[in-house]
Formats: sequence, C-alpha cells, structure tokens
Amino acid sequence: MTALVIGTGGLARSIGEHFVSAGRSVATITADAVFDDRVTAGDALRSAVGDSVVELVVLAQLDPAGFATAPITAITEQQWDDTCERSLRRAFIALQQAHDLVADGTPIVLVLPNVGAVGVAGLVPLCTAVEGIRVMAKAVARRWGARSITVNTIGVELAAFMLGDTEDRSGTVPPVPVLGSPALPASSVVDDVVGLIEVFESPAGRAVTGAFLMADRGTVMLP
Amino acid sequence: MLDGQVVLVTGAAAGVGRGVAVSLARAGAVVGIGVRRPEAAGEVADEVRDAGGTPVILRCDVTNAQQSAEAIEQLIDTHGRLNALVHNAVSNRSSEPTDFEHADLDLWEEHASVTVRATWRLAVQAHPHLRATQGAYLLMTSPAGIEGSAPLPFYSAVKAAQRGFVRALAREWGPDGIRVNSIAPLAVSPALENLRATDPERVARIEGLVPLGRLGDPTDDIGPPSVFLCSQEARYVTGQTLVVSGGRFTSL
Repeated sequence: MTALVIGTGGLARSIGEHFVSAGRSVATITADAVFDDRVTAGDALRSAVGDSVVELVVLAQLDPAGFATAPITAITEQQWDDTCERSLRRAFIALQQAHDLVADGTPIVLVLPNVGAVGVAGLVPLCTAVEGIRVMAKAVARRWGARSITVNTIGVELAAFMLGDTEDRSGTVPPVPVLGSPALPASSVVDDVVGLIEVFESPAGRAVTGAFLMADRGTVMLP
Repeated sequence: MLDGQVVLVTGAAAGVGRGVAVSLARAGAVVGIGVRRPEAAGEVADEVRDAGGTPVILRCDVTNAQQSAEAIEQLIDTHGRLNALVHNAVSNRSSEPTDFEHADLDLWEEHASVTVRATWRLAVQAHPHLRATQGAYLLMTSPAGIEGSAPLPFYSAVKAAQRGFVRALAREWGPDGIRVNSIAPLAVSPALENLRATDPERVARIEGLVPLGRLGDPTDDIGPPSVFLCSQEARYVTGQTLVVSGGRFTSL
C-alpha cells in the first residue's frame, strides 16, 4: 500500500517525509514537468507506484513561478502562463492520471494556499489558479463519488505552502490580507495537514467530499 | 444610470451577453457589441438601438489579442472613453459535458483560452482606460464555478478561476479606483432553448429547482444587476460575486 504524494515544493516534500518517518510507503514525483502531458504523467505515476496499491493521493503542486509578485499589467502572456495556467493544466493532468491508478474508496487530498479565498494584490495569477484548482476538485469529487473516492482540499498559509523554499524566495511573498492575526498560536503545518489527511483517510471522513478545510490557524475565516 | 457611458460586452451576439447589452442600452449606454462574426450582430445592434442605446459592432474574438485590443481602441477612438468592460464570452463547447477522465489538453485549451487567458488579457488592455474613468470590470462567471459541476469539470474550473481573479484584482486595482466584480447567472441560453424544444420535461424539472419557478431572462433578470455593477451606484462594491439565480443557489 502506497501513499502517492504529487508536488515538488517544500510542503509536498515535508508531507512525504512525514509519511516515511511514520513507516508508510510513499511514492513521489520529482519533476512537476511530467504533468505537462498525459502520457508522460501516466508513465511517471505508474513508474513511481510500481505494483503497489495506492491508498492515498496527496496533490500539493503549484508552479513556483506563481509565488513571485507582480501587477498583472507588468507581465507577459508567457509569464501569465507560467504563473497561472500551467498550474491549472498540471492539476488537471495530475488528477486525471491519478484517477486511473486508484482503487474505489481512495481518498484524494489537495493542499493549496489560502490566498484564493481572499485574493492578494500582486498574486492575481496564483489566486486565479488556486481557485480554479479548488473547484476542479469539487467537480471531480462529484464525478468520482459513485466510486467512493473522496476529493477534499486543505488550505494553508502561503508561507506554509512554500515550507523549506522560503529562503530561496524571501521577500517575494506579500502578507496575506487578513481580518486579524491568526487565531491560534504557531504550530507545525505538516502535522496540521497530515492530521486532516488522516481524518479523510479514516472512517470519520468517509462522508466528507468536495470540502475545503482551512488549516491556517484561523488566518482566513470564510463567511 | 449609464447615460453616455461606454461599455464593451464580449460574447454579445446571443444569450446572456445579448441580454446584458440590451439592458445596458436601456440604461443609456453606448454599447460595444463584441462578437467573433460582426455580420451576425445586426439583430442585437437593432435591439440595442431600439432600447435607447448606441450600438458599436466590434470584431472581438477574445482569444485573439490583436482583435480585442483593436475593439477597445475602436471604442476609444469613436467615443473617447471606456467606462466598463463586461467579459461574458465563453468557449463554444462550454455547455458540452466533459469526459474529464479521458479529455485532452486541446479541450482544456478551448475553455482556458476564452475564460482564463482572455480574462487576464482584456484586463491588461482595458486597464489604462478604466483607470481614466474610474470604471468597472465585470466578469460573467457561473454557479458551476462555485459549487463544481460533475458534467462540466473544465467549465467549473475556469469559471472558478475567474472568481479568484476577481478577488485578487479587486485588491490590486482598488488604488486605481477600478472595481472588479462578477455575476454568476442562471439564465435561459440558446442551448437551453434548444433543449426546451426537444425535451420540455427536462427543462421543467430544471425550472422546478428554482424557488422563483423559472430560469432567468438574460435581459430582464441578468441585465439589471449587470447595469448596477457597471454603474457608479455600485461604487463601493468590488471583489464580489453576485449570484443571480432566482434562489436556485442559496448556500454559495
């Protein structure tokens, strides 16, 4: 039995490492670019998983280009694609190809930054991609429910999504507009996210699909 | 409400776009009728004129950067300003059920080019003109982009993407005095009219889900909220999605 973790950013890596340290078998993909076409993506996933049965899919994948801040009037069409549309396409391909691998009843969990829920100046492409992916997940949750496949999304703080990557991009991430400070004290985002994933995997989560849960310490509280 | 104001509507040849164009005309606007085939826009131009507006037919395939730029510039050349832009155009295949599990990137591109890329490109092209008028950018999204639709996963995703765009751009353009909003309409469409002719019971079932008992009329139900959001009456409203669905969607 294998947990398939898709995404090469800091949070995806950390979730994979957490699972390994807990004794789980983990399959990872080391290059997001494999999701630029269906055939390569399918081959890469099958190669990563081997003969194992996939018991969980975690998708925490966004193109890091999207984290650089710029007004939309200052970017080229290629930059728009790099910062927004490429992540949308890769999410589609990743979900489509992961669906081919999983058995009935497998939970699929997406992890995304919380910025799409509120919008951030300078991060329009990222917010656009995040919201598109979030509702793409809802649509497939409806499609795959008949197979008891659950599809849920966890929202985390933007800096948390870039866990371990922040040193490379210091100064590029603006503060998320908030209604106030995080309600809860600092905690391990990996523990927080993995804890929710474990709920989705457990019988307690079997009726939960198409949901969007924030694990951002109460930074963004949706209406 | 919009006397003499200049508004461009994309996808204005039919359906919601056409209804919004006519409603803008009733409010006194100069209406740029953005269409892929100008020769097919004669009827809507007549309706705009009959409603009291001034029609300007513009070739505007929104997937063509040059055409959309020229459409905006033509309005500026002829009427001196742009007060609002309504991006309503969608892919011709937007209402087709999508086999997500087997779909290819070409189909994704059909949706994304019109609803995601053009949303960005039109914004960039319109920005200096909207800043000059303290104007408004209005996107036509969909309830599917809020709750997700099983048969329309691509449409759901690109319409949701527009909502993320609206929230973020409203913050980015607030200092410029430009408002950015969206409407999620439930309305009669040409596709639905075809369905009514072939399967009236199915249409009746859909209408039965709407508390107000009918699907929205593009001109009389979707148009007025669009006029409001384009106008200065909504000068303190930005970053919002207004669901105009006869109460069909109450939890969004």
